[in-house]
Amino acid sequence: MNDVAHAVDMGADWGGGVSPFGATWQKTMMWIFIITDALLFGGLLSGYGYLRMAGQSTWPATHDVFSIPFIALMTFILITSSMWMGTAVTASRLGDRKKALNNLILTILGGAAFLGCQAYEWSHLIHEGARLTSNPWGAPQFGASFFVLTGFHGSHVLSGLVILIVTAVRTALGKTPAQGVEMAGLYWHFVDLVWVFIFTLFYLLPN
Amino acid sequence: MSASADGNPYGIYRVTWVILLIITVAMLAAEALHMPRWFLVLFLLAFMAVKAAMIGGNFMHLRHEHPRMRIMVAGGIVVTSLILLAFITPEARNVKARTTAPPLPPPSATHGHE
Repeated sequence: MNDVAHAVDMGADWGGGVSPFGATWQKTMMWIFIITDALLFGGLLSGYGYLRMAGQSTWPATHDVFSIPFIALMTFILITSSMWMGTAVTASRLGDRKKALNNLILTILGGAAFLGCQAYEWSHLIHEGARLTSNPWGAPQFGASFFVLTGFHGSHVLSGLVILIVTAVRTALGKTPAQGVEMAGLYWHFVDLVWVFIFTLFYLLPN
Repeated sequence: MSASADGNPYGIYRVTWVILLIITVAMLAAEALHMPRWFLVLFLLAFMAVKAAMIGGNFMHLRHEHPRMRIMVAGGIVVTSLILLAFITPEARNVKARTTAPPLPPPSATHGHE
């Protein structure tokens, strides 16, 4: 059986033709990657929830430790960068390369600003005595939860920035198809999505 | 009618952005309203879910994808999240206490005087 006939057979079996999810294989694989990455953060957040609820020591009140308006500013930056990213994706799809590039650059600036804020927050907390195994405010697991959750997220932001810079350069050179920008966009929005959960569950949820 | 249907293909992102900001401000303000803890937690979790749905649906275009794709993404994440959440329920946290072996007897009682 040749490849085409095999693909047709597979399509008949799945009921979705050669594209059962109605998307290109690149996009399908990107979504599968995002799901697995979401499960990683799901595990980390569950671990944090366990530590917070099962620990014997009092969990610190986050508004005593963090400047919540500052964290809100970080959230604002990330949400805004997501809007720019969405605009870049659509502009690229419509063939407006200049608009796509401008919005990609704005997204990169937003991501860099977010990382800068996170570096400031980390250095501030470390200066105040927060460590992976201890902290001055209460339950020792608090430090581990904070550094692991925000560290993993920050590393994703950094990866996203690298992807965006490469995508922006290739867009400027006219080498990135619209789908390439869309893939980068999916990853960036995922980073924003994870922050929504961290912001609510770690910073806002009361004791 | 969606913003794109009005002729502005970028409108949906601006509308979503504004709604996300309003929700974020509402979540921040909720803590100052001194509402009952259970209600505040419910409020925050509900708005977190709305924000996640808006980002997934509008920014990531999931609402325009094939239904199978939506089921794969949303279903997979929701079901796995529920399984993970089961590990932090009070019942799950008590498992350790119920399965911890009793303390070993002193060495003299087990090994004699060899």
